[in-house]
Amino acid sequence: MDSDGLGDVLDLSKDRSQNQEQRTDMKNKGVYIYQPAKSGKPSGERPSKRRKVSSTNITKEASETEGFVPLLNGDENPECVQLRYNTYKQLWAEQEDRIQVILEDVDAGVLKDVSSFVRETSPETSNGCIPTALVTVGSNVSSLSRLLSRLNDQLKSTNEGGVVVLESGDAPNLKTSLKNIIRAAVTNTEGTDGYQRFLTDRTGPRILGYDLDLLHDYVQRRGTKKLVLALRDSEAFDPGLLTDLFSLFKSWLDRIPFTVLLGISTSVEIFEGRLPRACVAMLQGQHFEVQEAGNCVDRIYEALQTSSDGKMWVGRNITSTLFEKASDYFQTPEAFSRMVKYACMSHFFANPLAVLLGNPDPSILNQNRFCEAIRNLPSFRMFCEDLLEVGSANEARSMIEDDDYLLRAAFDHVNAGQEIMRRIFSAVLLIHTCLQHTQASKKTPVSDISVRALSGELSESPLVEDMLTTLKTLDSEKLGDVLITLPTLAEGSPLTDIQADLKTLLETNSDSLPLRSEYNVNSSVVKTTVVQQRVLLTKGKANLREQDIEYTRIIDRLVSALQVHFAETLIRPQELFMHEAFLFDLRNPLKETFTPRPRFAIERALTSPFDYLMSTITPDAKISAKQPAAAILYQLYLESGALVNVHDLWQAFYGVYQRDENNKCDDRVVMALFYGALSDLKMFGMVKNSRKKTDHLAKSSWMGM
Amino acid sequence: MKRKLSDSGLENDHPAGSTPKRARTTQPQPNGALNGHAPNQSPPNGNVTYELPPSQSTPKKSNGISTPSLKESGLKTPTHKSKARNLFATPTKPKTPAAGTPSRLKKADQSAKKKSARVLFEQDEDAEWDGSEQLAAEILQDDEPEPEKTTGSIVESVEEGDAEKGKAKDAKAPKRRAGRPKGAKNKRSPTPEGELPAHERYFFQNRAGTGKTSNTTLNKVPLLTHEEYFEKLGQYVDPCKEEKEYLLSLHHRSFSQWQFEFEEGYNICLFGYGSKRKLVQNFADWLYHHSSTENPPIVIVNGYTPGISIRSIFAMIATALLGDDLPSKLGAQPTEVLELLQSALNNRPIEDGPITVLINSVDAPPLRRAANQALLARLAATPRIRLLVTADTPNFTVMWDISLRDQFNLVFHDGTTFTPFAVEADVVEEVNSLLGRKGQRAGGKDGVGFVLKSLPENARNLYRLLLTEVITIMDDGHQSDDEGGADGNKSAEEHGIEFRLLYQKATEEFIASSEMMFRTLLKEFHDHQMITSRMDPSGMEILGIPLSRDEMEGVLEDLVLG
Repeated sequence: MDSDGLGDVLDLSKDRSQNQEQRTDMKNKGVYIYQPAKSGKPSGERPSKRRKVSSTNITKEASETEGFVPLLNGDENPECVQLRYNTYKQLWAEQEDRIQVILEDVDAGVLKDVSSFVRETSPETSNGCIPTALVTVGSNVSSLSRLLSRLNDQLKSTNEGGVVVLESGDAPNLKTSLKNIIRAAVTNTEGTDGYQRFLTDRTGPRILGYDLDLLHDYVQRRGTKKLVLALRDSEAFDPGLLTDLFSLFKSWLDRIPFTVLLGISTSVEIFEGRLPRACVAMLQGQHFEVQEAGNCVDRIYEALQTSSDGKMWVGRNITSTLFEKASDYFQTPEAFSRMVKYACMSHFFANPLAVLLGNPDPSILNQNRFCEAIRNLPSFRMFCEDLLEVGSANEARSMIEDDDYLLRAAFDHVNAGQEIMRRIFSAVLLIHTCLQHTQASKKTPVSDISVRALSGELSESPLVEDMLTTLKTLDSEKLGDVLITLPTLAEGSPLTDIQADLKTLLETNSDSLPLRSEYNVNSSVVKTTVVQQRVLLTKGKANLREQDIEYTRIIDRLVSALQVHFAETLIRPQELFMHEAFLFDLRNPLKETFTPRPRFAIERALTSPFDYLMSTITPDAKISAKQPAAAILYQLYLESGALVNVHDLWQAFYGVYQRDENNKCDDRVVMALFYGALSDLKMFGMVKNSRKKTDHLAKSSWMGM
Repeated sequence: MKRKLSDSGLENDHPAGSTPKRARTTQPQPNGALNGHAPNQSPPNGNVTYELPPSQSTPKKSNGISTPSLKESGLKTPTHKSKARNLFATPTKPKTPAAGTPSRLKKADQSAKKKSARVLFEQDEDAEWDGSEQLAAEILQDDEPEPEKTTGSIVESVEEGDAEKGKAKDAKAPKRRAGRPKGAKNKRSPTPEGELPAHERYFFQNRAGTGKTSNTTLNKVPLLTHEEYFEKLGQYVDPCKEEKEYLLSLHHRSFSQWQFEFEEGYNICLFGYGSKRKLVQNFADWLYHHSSTENPPIVIVNGYTPGISIRSIFAMIATALLGDDLPSKLGAQPTEVLELLQSALNNRPIEDGPITVLINSVDAPPLRRAANQALLARLAATPRIRLLVTADTPNFTVMWDISLRDQFNLVFHDGTTFTPFAVEADVVEEVNSLLGRKGQRAGGKDGVGFVLKSLPENARNLYRLLLTEVITIMDDGHQSDDEGGADGNKSAEEHGIEFRLLYQKATEEFIASSEMMFRTLLKEFHDHQMITSRMDPSGMEILGIPLSRDEMEGVLEDLVLG
């Protein structure tokens, strides 16, 4: 007699008891299609409508702008809303293209390798084993799906075959995996209907869905040359199942041209170690490595921020948040760009000034309100104070009083500010290029330089000082390299002159190259003198050749030109008037939206519920009956030890109500509340039944840990 | 050597109260091996040489003594042990913690937990940290004018639950209020005053020697039935009703933002305390009325529904999408339905707009499994599917690894509503299971009796047999178990009869002639939740009855008499 049998019998899913409370069907239905309430306005309508009191054609507009609502207390003109939306769409479409280019570029290398591997290998070239591509993806998990879909497109377009992606979830056992593989292979080219037809329109005996004969038939009909089976998360597959699959494939290899592609997130050695030898022996493979995500993320950031026609930038706080997240967690490049996109969305969604980026016609602005908004900006105040300091009180006055004047100034400053931002980032790029030459080992990424630039610290930072010092010591050959790669500075910069001078100097002294400046190590001599048994080291300049002195002069000019340039361009963007319009730097919506702290939120709701429930009642005690029951119980729970006596807990809970309500409370009602609160705590995994003592609970979570 | 020896002696000198298992675990390992004494032969004066650091009372010992009597008279009461200590104290003993038994001390040093506990102790006035003394001091301060009352109230706070709870509330209350100025405070609080960092609090609450909870049980407190729970809950007037509605209206303001996020390809996750079902419903209303297309398809999923399957969700989405064009045969695998869905979405004309799926409680047990989440992630990654999920538990994010997170493409919003989880959780059931009183929901004794009446003779006989056996086993268990769970309330489910044994007895009594029949009978019981089954450590199936002993006897009586 087996007890398992009974287990089966007894282990039926326990039906929930029918609750006595009257409930509508909807609550108990697992899944249903929404049907609007028959009569009346939905309750959700009212609050949102309250906000847009003034605008008349709400519904029409909402559909056009997809969720953009009029700002400025609802007084924003519909045209402005529309313009904000359009500007956002246009701006992000450009950025999105840039990102796509980078992603494709990053993948291009490994895609080329993999596709040529797929094309060139065959069972013959791999000693009768299944040709296998082992792709290690590391943290860049999403790259593999991109790679696979592009490989699939390539193979499909040339009619060579296709890629079948199998995930560990699709492969619970051999039959199902085979069935899934076959279906995916056929659907890939024929579509779902094609698969059904393929199954039914057959002569001869009906073949079951997992029979590889089906696939064989399909391969023959289509003339498929390559059928790539990609396991995205190879580590998650059952090794036994893999062995079975591969041995099947191997025996069909003469009829079906399989190539296996394994996505590995650990390392090839670890993966191989998990497989049985017999399984490994059936594969012959090559190892491919996908570029790490970090590098990719940096390039995306660079492309987004430093483009020469940028209109809007993300500020320092966001940059550091973004890169904190990218380095602290594994993050795919897509996830990174989504975060940037969200920052951009937030800017256009919630900032009425963002409309200025769309070069609006001043007439569509609701001038009154808009100017009021501008006058409330911190940067406006700063600007006016500066005006007063330099003595132009009249200008300040008209800024404050004259709407037209203010608007014109605002437009001008937005344009000027954007120009300054572009210059800042071109300086960042310049520094980045120089660093490529001066930094020997560790290269500072663009993001680091940008963070410093965005906080206005770059021109005085040790990074730049070090760079300039190293630049001085370069000999003429290396300097030549640097100058060639440097992006041209702004018009009329002395850089071109310097370049020309250097060229003539080199030409005249072509026999004594390389030239060294006086700052070079080789140009200084260390003198050692012994004075009273102590060694004194004195550095002195070696006698410089004339051309070296000339070269030193050129170097000095270059360095001072760079210094001047940096000092001019690298200003604090936060000091620009109207920077709020084109610089988005609020850390919060982004951080909270992408790295939520749900546990903290729940703990906060329970420990200080009035943070959420803006109550008019000021509670006198820390715990009061005015709070929700779960909050009361949770606070009592926090005070208790690792083991909680339920009866005492109930007494304490009841005591809270009794004290506050002057004994007018019904203890059974309180008991019902106690039940609800206790069940909440259980649901949150904070308590569990303890076996140590009767009617005791074990505490299983500690706040703040 | 001597000290080590004494150590083991002490461990065995335990009062009977602590469980044998505990004692075993606390025994220092080297002892037995080193001195060759059988532990229980250790000399009676073992206690004498043993000295605890004053502040570091060992858990198990104090546990044993902490009977109510101790509490009443305060900590000063000289127990057997402390008396012994005073009598035989050697000069070296009464010193700082450093004077403790070397081996023990070394161990304590090794344990980070104890170390940090000791830091706590040293920082402050040593004894004040001990919950009880602090409590005593507090009471003395608070109630200086009426000292007699204080002592009375402490006793009462322990006793009242047993004796007086549930009746004559009004008469008793004033007295209690005078004695207990702060409802919660008089419970001996194991939490020290002041703000502790989270980790220190953890170690403090888990420190050795804090097992001191009172022995009161809920026996005298009548628990709620489903009917009463809902009836009483209906009488409650929520003092925060307005605030909660205001909070909800604040969330409503975000609807347009959420729609924009949907539009830009993000999926949304709402978290925070409270049921978000209503919020989701309102959002669905809002979406419906603000949509640019007629009748936008919106599918709502209640993840907490027991037995809900991913396939049914996918199938419903497909129905919403295809309407009458839905193929009659969808396929049994969720993946098949998903693929059908995806191809249908690809063929959907672009002006028809996307399909919105709103999932309540995505972290509820039925959907929590990794395989389900992976499927949902694939649904979320499908273009033109907009997914909003709500999550109730604090640690739901651990359901998703990096690749799932990537596929879900979620933005998170705090959706705290404070609405009770009325539908999501079966409150009474949850609490009963938490208290180890599962069966009470089946209607207890009456319910079982009612079911039995409707069953055939054979089934009644089998149940009678089962009852008799279980009660016999319980009786046996009590005699052998000297630690007297005196209330007889030691969860009845823990006692049970082995499946095979019961079958044997049933065949002997001609109740069931075949195993098949036997199982059919058991299944009937199981359907009505009149029996429980569990595996014991050796892998045998143990059948039990989810009733308290009194109830079992009552049912048995009815069965025999009826």
